[in-house]
Amino acid sequence: MIEVNEKELMRCNVCGAVNIDRGEVTPCRRCGSNIYHERFSTQKSWAYLLTAMIAYIPANLYPMLITKQFGSVEGSTILGGVVMLWEHGSYPIALIIFFASILIPIIKFLVLIYLLISVKYPIGKDSKIDKHKLYYMTEAVGPWSMIDVFVVAILAALIHLANVEIVAGTAATAFAISVFFTLLAAHAFDERLIKEYR
Amino acid sequence: MKLENEEALDHLIICHKCHTLHEEVEIEDGTKALCSKCGSVLYRFDSKLADYGLALSATGLIFFVLANLFPLVKIELLGHEQFITIPKTFVALFDNGFYFVGLMCAFLIFIFPLLIFVINFMLFLLLKLRKSPDFTKSLLILLSHIKPWSMSDIFLISILVALVKLIGYAQIDMGVAFWTLVIFVGIDLYMSKQIHVSEIWMLRRRLYAQERA
Repeated sequence: MIEVNEKELMRCNVCGAVNIDRGEVTPCRRCGSNIYHERFSTQKSWAYLLTAMIAYIPANLYPMLITKQFGSVEGSTILGGVVMLWEHGSYPIALIIFFASILIPIIKFLVLIYLLISVKYPIGKDSKIDKHKLYYMTEAVGPWSMIDVFVVAILAALIHLANVEIVAGTAATAFAISVFFTLLAAHAFDERLIKEYR
Repeated sequence: MKLENEEALDHLIICHKCHTLHEEVEIEDGTKALCSKCGSVLYRFDSKLADYGLALSATGLIFFVLANLFPLVKIELLGHEQFITIPKTFVALFDNGFYFVGLMCAFLIFIFPLLIFVINFMLFLLLKLRKSPDFTKSLLILLSHIKPWSMSDIFLISILVALVKLIGYAQIDMGVAFWTLVIFVGIDLYMSKQIHVSEIWMLRRRLYAQERA
């Protein structure tokens, strides 16, 4: 017979098995992955998040898509692409791109910053915000930011004639890096921290 | 809380969404257990899980192969015909010198989706045959690591967005691979909604326990 405190039970991030918290590092009973105590997880998440935020700046300044048409070269940024679609009357697509490439990344940055601060310094302690839900939602919508990168890849692969050509711009790399690191930051964030300070 | 030994922890479940502790109870075949706090699915019990999983992953694999072999979209622009396939989209990025984005796309829309279905297929096959418990363990660990990084569904929506941008400039024809990709994504979404990795772990425990007995 062993006596366990219910608060010492935790879920393995990889396989979901219930484990007893043994301090700093606990190897999971079922899959053997290391379950870290919260000590390092916010630092790692912060580092990824900062990288993502820095990469987001050039992603918006440089052209995402470069159209070469009969000798003239024209680049369009993410925001420029949205405006162009709006002016052409494709409102739903303009909205999808606006949500996926501009709104979601920014909301994700803000939510992660809020979560990372609130688990260390309980500012949101009394608020009624369901942080688990908030975290889960950012996890779910996060990958959809990749739409713009895929669209650029498809257009670049599809249109390369002698006179008309579309190529990806510098912002594609920057944006891909930004999305990649935001996803890493979200994965690195330890949900168990939310519970500890409730 | 008193426990027999550490094995008894297997009968406890922590909700993956709200981290509430639950005790596993036996439920009827084909039903699911919900979290009492947030209502998300804790686990399902299906006695034919291995068969369903095997059938779905085999079907998915076939459609994935087809989706990669045939052209996704054909366009006619200024008298020239052009088409793309899934591999062509990221190879074109490589050709233009976008190695990072190209590599990322290759992993997100080709390698990971393929790997997930191959792993699922092997996993359910081995579980059905009740062979090599260690290998199924490594497969399950690998599966949960790459699961969040498969983006076929997002790629499918991206194709539509890209085509809307071309309306008015070019004549667009959907290729065979587009429809097979639609079916593949459908199977992918259905599988990730219906079969959670934790349920495969439970199945594995059940099957190998039977084997030992």
